[in-house]
Amino acid sequence: MQDLSLHLLDVLENSARAGASLIQIIISADEKSNILSFKITDNGSGMNAETLSSAQNPFYTSKASRKKKVGLGIPLFKQNAELCEGSFSMKSELGEGTVIEVTFQINHIDRMPVGSLADTIISSVIGHSETDYYLHILHNTQDQTFDYEFDTRLLREELGDIPLTYPDVMQYIDQVINNGVKNTKMGEI
Amino acid sequence: MKTLADLRKIREKAQHDMKLRNSGSRIKIVVGMGTSGIAMGAREVMKTLLNEIATRHIVDVIVSQTGEKGLSSMEPVIDVIEEGKETITYGNVNPEKAKRIIAEHIVNGQPVTDYIISRD
Repeated sequence: MQDLSLHLLDVLENSARAGASLIQIIISADEKSNILSFKITDNGSGMNAETLSSAQNPFYTSKASRKKKVGLGIPLFKQNAELCEGSFSMKSELGEGTVIEVTFQINHIDRMPVGSLADTIISSVIGHSETDYYLHILHNTQDQTFDYEFDTRLLREELGDIPLTYPDVMQYIDQVINNGVKNTKMGEI
Repeated sequence: MKTLADLRKIREKAQHDMKLRNSGSRIKIVVGMGTSGIAMGAREVMKTLLNEIATRHIVDVIVSQTGEKGLSSMEPVIDVIEEGKETITYGNVNPEKAKRIIAEHIVNGQPVTDYIISRD
């Protein structure tokens, strides 16, 4: 993976494949404390303790069982976090869902660039148009705060039975997310 | 700046559109978005497909994402699934190829044989 937004997409795909109906993504960058964090919470099928621990090891996949498929994605994300003195935690309960929290030291020399968060969110939202996504980006610089929220549930209230995949809706989503993410200046850290 | 009110206008237009066509989706395009697909550029392919479909205003095609299918060496991979026809799988797709697939296969109904890796 070339950047953190691609790792995020990989995690979001796991959540969608676990059958989540709601995926919540909280991304926060606090320049004073030098911490960048990603928290992904889903209400998918979850994992038992054994699968949970295997998922963090390279070369494990539950593909054969087809219940939940985890490959190299999680171990790579974890390794990248630990490489820049960050942290990685994954909690899960069968039937409840999974919570992944990954932190990075913003100024660490080995920290990957954030990449295009907008592309990742748009791809997930449209690619799993039945799933709801809640995104919250919070960015504190030395003297400013930027805050952005996006919630597909609010869109659905307005759209009724028109799907998120309708061309004009896709264009709407593309514009609001691109603008919203850009205004948080997350691309500049 | 777009607001939620813009969605209401889209809704009216879309309802009118759907009534005229009176049909659901004709084709489903599935992008392989597993770890290796992502690492090989599947997100850019997805982005291109969505842009093409939105700008050409193609209302009867749905693009979705799936996991690894064991074709890692040919990622990014996309399937074109059409009712009553064989499923066509394209491999080593990039944004340029994705544009050609939309224009030739989705719009004109002619699969792009150069990029096909399997049919079933």
